Order: sequence, then structure tokens, then C-alpha cells
Amino acid sequence: MIERELLVVNKDGIHLRPAERIAQTAGGFASEVSLQNGTCKVNGKSILGILALEAGLGTRVTVVADGPDEQEAVEAIAALFQEGFGEELGKL
Amino acid sequence: MSPRQFYERKKESFQLELLTSCLDSARPITVSDVHRPGLALAGFTKIFLAERIQILGETEMLFLETLEERERLKAIDRLFIHDIPCIIVAKGLEFPSYLTERGEKAGVPVFRTPLSTTPFIHRLTEFLEEAFAPRTHIHGSLVDVYGVGLLITGKSGIGKSECALDLVERGHRLVADDLVIVTRRHNELVGEASRHLKDHMEIRGIGIIDIRRMFGIRAITRTKRIAVEVRLREWARDVDYDRLGLEERMTTILGMKVPVVTMPIIPGKNITVLAEVVAMNHLLRIHGLRPAETLNENLIQLMKGNKSTEAEISEAPPPEGGGR
Repeated sequence: MIERELLVVNKDGIHLRPAERIAQTAGGFASEVSLQNGTCKVNGKSILGILALEAGLGTRVTVVADGPDEQEAVEAIAALFQEGFGEELGKL
Repeated sequence: MSPRQFYERKKESFQLELLTSCLDSARPITVSDVHRPGLALAGFTKIFLAERIQILGETEMLFLETLEERERLKAIDRLFIHDIPCIIVAKGLEFPSYLTERGEKAGVPVFRTPLSTTPFIHRLTEFLEEAFAPRTHIHGSLVDVYGVGLLITGKSGIGKSECALDLVERGHRLVADDLVIVTRRHNELVGEASRHLKDHMEIRGIGIIDIRRMFGIRAITRTKRIAVEVRLREWARDVDYDRLGLEERMTTILGMKVPVVTMPIIPGKNITVLAEVVAMNHLLRIHGLRPAETLNENLIQLMKGNKSTEAEISEAPPPEGGGR
């Protein structure tokens, strides 16, 4: 199991489109993927679950992957966060 | 369409009377517009829309009556300078016998209808537009679901007919199964069944069934405007299914854009309920309701509120009531 803390850097936070990209990316791996913001822990392959994180700009989200390709899964999701999901970045 | 085919199809409804012995002309009917050759009769032949059916109404006939015999014959001759498909005298009017003699000689059929000129022109144009409308055949089923025409497409054997049958069983109406004839009328795509296949379906394992006899008259409808295409596909990992519905995906049929929903099929999935949801979602969109967009806007506002309270970022104050 691997865990990593990621920062939301895009202006609008994790809304529908970023949530879709995360779910799509996580769905490509065999490992279980979950995301956590505070006490809210959700399945990383579910769009609506990810939305429930209510992770706006500046939020720290913990991604946890568990399975045969856990390393790659965390890397891939971390890359999405770093590039701000391809959206406009916000001022931190 | 040759004048002969036109006559055979419409002689009853337009009460056409054939005034010449010839019924075939050198020029077929190719356009849906008609022409009243008043100006040509009066001498202006620079522009003459010869490809159209020529209609002679009361105006033209009264004008001819005002002319002296020689002028009248010359005027009628002017109609035959170009090759025209046919001439129709409206309102059951009397006509100079020279008109039919000339038609005979030029090999141009002349008809007469008792219908009044303007209503006749409307009906004729409507018929011709229909006859010349762009048309295509689509392999799929068309069902009227809550008033929304769903065109169900997909590979052979994927379950289009079964989906349509299931929809009929739930009270929706079948337009066509397996083969849909799609016609573009103005800016609408209208689908119908081919003449001999209507009311029938082929269900694998059972064979041909008669939907009207089996489910009654409520289960069928003749034509329906195509509102959404529902594309059934075997589930595959690499296919990009829409999971948000933020924007409508479109396909093009006969040059017209139609929203398309690609539906992955896996065993145990109830496609029928999904098809009903597609129809209802389309109705909601028409009424201006876009659930994905609304949800997204609310969420972004909510997160803006959260961010400023939690992370204390030096920016504009949160909107009132935006935080929790």
C-alpha cells in the first residue's frame, strides 16, 4: 500500500471534469485507489465519490493505492494534480 | 420523376385529367418548385424556369383571352421554347385548343385539375418536396419514448430489436424495426418503416412477429421525428463513454446534427430503462435543465467557500452563505 499527499492547484478545485479525469486514470489500474480529504474517504474510481471530497484550491488530498500496480497508480494521479488537471491554476 | 410516374401517383388525389395523348416528355420533373409562366406568356422569356412544372391559373387564362388570335398563339408558343416537364391547367379552366395541340407536337403532357390554383400549388409543392427530400436507410429501430423519437443503432445481434420490444411492452410506440427510412424535411429528420415491414419485428429465436396484432394499436405509430440516437455497443475498456453529460455529443444524419448517446452493453444491464432515461433527459434539456452543469456550478461555489475558511488564502472574501 502506498500513500501520498497531493495539493489541489487549479483555480476551480476538483469539480466534474477533474473528477472524471481522476476516476478515468484510477480506473485504468488494477489496484484499489482511494482519496481522502479530512474525514471524507472515497473510492478513487467513482466520479461522484471524488466530488464529495469538496476539494477546492489549496486542499490537501491523500491518495492511497493498494494492489499490484499501486506505484504507477499513485504516480499517474499525482501527475494529474501537479498539472492542475490541465486547467487554469489558482493563486495559492 | 417522369410526368408519367407523377400522373400515376397523383391522378386520384389531384383529380388530374390528361388532355394530351402523350404522357412522356423529354424532361423529367426534378425540382419541387413550380412555375407560373405569366411573364413568358406576356413576352418576357429571358428568364424562364423551364425545369419546373408549369401551372396555368386564372390570371394566365384571362390574359390569353385578352389577346388577339395571332398573339395568343405566339404567347402559347413561348411556353414551348424550352423543354418543360409538363403543364397543368388549374381550377378546371377552359383552355385554348392550341395549348394541347402544341403540347402534343412538342411531346409535353398537359393536365387539368379542378382544384383552385393556390391550394393546388401548395399541395403539389408539398408532394414534390416529399418526393425529392434527401432520404437514407438506417439499420436500427425507431421508437417513440415519451414523445421523444429514439433511433436505436448498433451492430447486428446487439439487441436493438429486443430493446425496442421491451420499450413497446412498457407502453412506448414502435415506428420501425431493423430498417428505418429517414427523410430530411426542412430541418427535421423524420423516420418511418418501409411499406411492407411496418408493424413487424424480427426477434431472434421467435421469428417475425406482428406488433400491432400482439400489442394493439397503441403500440405503433407511423412516423416520428428523430430526436436522439442511442448507439448500443459492447462494453470495451478503451471506448470513451460519456460519464458527465456536460456537453451533448453529436452525430450527423443527412447533414443534420443529432445528439448521440453511446451506451455500453453488459449482461444484466437494463437497456430499456436507460433508453427511457435518455428520452426523459432529452426532455429536461429542452426545458433548460442541465443537471451536470448545475451540479458543477454549485460545487465550484461551495469549494470556493471551503477554501477560504480552511486554507485562509488571502483573496477576495467568500461569497455570503458560500461556506459551511
